[in-house]
Amino acid sequence: MAKSMLIISRRAPGSGPSAREALDIALAGGAFDLPLAMLFMDDGIYQLTPDQAPHHIQQKDLSANLQALPLFGVEDLFACAYSLQERGLDTSHLALPAQPLDDEALRALIARHDLVVTL
Amino acid sequence: MSTLHILSHSPFGDSRFASCLRVLGPGDALLLTGEAVQALRQGSAPRLKLDQLPAQVALFALEEDILARALTDLPNHCTALDYPRFVALCLDYDKVNSWL
Repeated sequence: MAKSMLIISRRAPGSGPSAREALDIALAGGAFDLPLAMLFMDDGIYQLTPDQAPHHIQQKDLSANLQALPLFGVEDLFACAYSLQERGLDTSHLALPAQPLDDEALRALIARHDLVVTL
Repeated sequence: MSTLHILSHSPFGDSRFASCLRVLGPGDALLLTGEAVQALRQGSAPRLKLDQLPAQVALFALEEDILARALTDLPNHCTALDYPRFVALCLDYDKVNSWL
């Protein structure tokens, strides 16, 4: 059986290639039907905010790739509740349905996956 | 001697934002650019700190960075700038301190 992988994405979309690379891993893995979950944490939460318009700062929009996650079979999407709260966001504000998890649930999420990649 | 302080990193993850707020004096100004504009997000912890800035500290932010992140409900005392006004603003202060 394929090993399960948790991808932790903790960088804002405008701050370097990490956000896109984490997303690329998820989409590639999803295309091969690997058991994947994605956790948005710290500034990675900002990837989920709606109505982003990165053309104003000459950057590519990640939101289409994010919306593709469920189509690629990556449906286990989670968001760190603490990161949401300190950034003034809640799940009703998000462009993608991600389930908020408290710290205890985060520990359990990491524990139950075979591999963890943080970008 | 007045100073324009420029923040361009996220208000989370290191102590730049908190340290910068601590050293702002009367007549100084704070300009938020890049990821630092996330500090303006309504309901966030850094926004609360910005709302508590004394009236003598002027607050500016780069408009294109605000637009890119779809930020709304900006503080009343925050002025949005384009790049030409950014350059002009730098000349309004005795010095510029960039928190690189």
